[in-house]
Amino acid sequence: MHAHLHSPVRPSRRTLLAGCLAVPLAVIQCTRRQQPEQRVVDLSIESDGDFLAFRPDELTCPGGAFVTLTFHHRGKFLSARHNWVLVYPGQLEAVDKAVEHNEGIIPGDDPRVIAWTPMCDKGSMAMTKFIAPGPGDYPFFCSTPGHGECMQGVLHVTGPAEAGFHRIGGVRLQADHRSIQKGFNI
Amino acid sequence: MKRTRATLAVLASFGFLLALAVQPSAQQLKAPDDIKTTLRLLVQVSNDFKRQITNKNFARVPHEFMEYTEAADALRSAMKGESADLRAKTETRLKTAVAAYQKVSDMSAKETDVDKLMAEHAKAVTAMNAVFDLFPAALRPDPNLPPPGRGGRRG
Repeated sequence: MHAHLHSPVRPSRRTLLAGCLAVPLAVIQCTRRQQPEQRVVDLSIESDGDFLAFRPDELTCPGGAFVTLTFHHRGKFLSARHNWVLVYPGQLEAVDKAVEHNEGIIPGDDPRVIAWTPMCDKGSMAMTKFIAPGPGDYPFFCSTPGHGECMQGVLHVTGPAEAGFHRIGGVRLQADHRSIQKGFNI
Repeated sequence: MKRTRATLAVLASFGFLLALAVQPSAQQLKAPDDIKTTLRLLVQVSNDFKRQITNKNFARVPHEFMEYTEAADALRSAMKGESADLRAKTETRLKTAVAAYQKVSDMSAKETDVDKLMAEHAKAVTAMNAVFDLFPAALRPDPNLPPPGRGGRRG
C-alpha cells in the first residue's frame, strides 16, 4: 500500500521544474527566430569641396536599419554653411521653402523631415542617427537658402521593412522615422 | 576699298595673334587646377546671386556678396605663383567685377524689382567674364555646363 503511493511514474520535482521552464523558453526561442537582428549601418557623405554638391549623391541602406550618418563639410574657401536633411518623397521643395527665411535651420517638429544634421562650417563635421524608413527613394538636400536646388541626392532604402514597426536591440518601436537622436556637430 | 579691307584683315589677324601670345597657356601656369577651381567658384556664387534675386530672398544677397569676395580672394591665392603681369591684369579686372557685384548687393537692400536687380547682375557677369578672358579656354568655366550637384544636373 505504502509502496503504491510512491509510484515510479510520478514526476520528480526536478522534472516538473524543467517542464515549467521548457514552455516559456521555447516561446522565447520562437520569437527570437521571427525577429531578425537590427541592421546597423554607417553612412558617410561630404560636400564636394566648396561646390554645391554632395559626394556621393546617392546612398543606400536596408529598410528598418539603425543608421548613423556622418556629414563632412569639405569646403576651404567660402563661408557658406552646409547640412544634410532627409525628407519624405515629394517634400524637398516644400521643406526647403519653409526654412528659406530662417537661415535653413530645420525645426525639430517637422513631420516631413526624417533626419537631419545641424549646419556645419567649412571643414567641420556633424552626425545624425535614425531608423531607415520602408523601402523607397528618399531625397536629401542642404537646407541653406538657395543650396537645395543643386545640392541634393537620394537615399535608396532597400529590402522589406516590417510595416509600421521597427526594432532596436530587440525592443519593438512604433514607426517614427524621425531622428532618434537630434543631429549634432562633431 | 579692297586695299582697306586687306589692311583691316591683316590688322585683325595681328591682333588675334597678339591676344593669343599674351594669354598664357594652361601649361605655362603654375597652379592651373587651383585657378580653374576658383574661377568655377566665382561662377557658382554669381549663380547663387541670381537664385536669391529670382526667389526674392533679398536678405541673402549681401551674404552672397561676402562669398563672392571670398571666391575672389581664393583666386588671388591661387595666382600667387603666376607672373606679375598676369596677376596685375587679373587684379584690375577682378576689382571691377567685385565692385559690380557689390553694387547688386547694395541695391538689393532697397530695390525689390527683380528685373532691375537682374539687369545689374547681368552687368556684373560681364565684368566677371572679363576676368575669365585672361585665362586659357581650358580653365574657363563652361557657361553651358549645368550647376554642380544632382539638382543642377536635373535642370
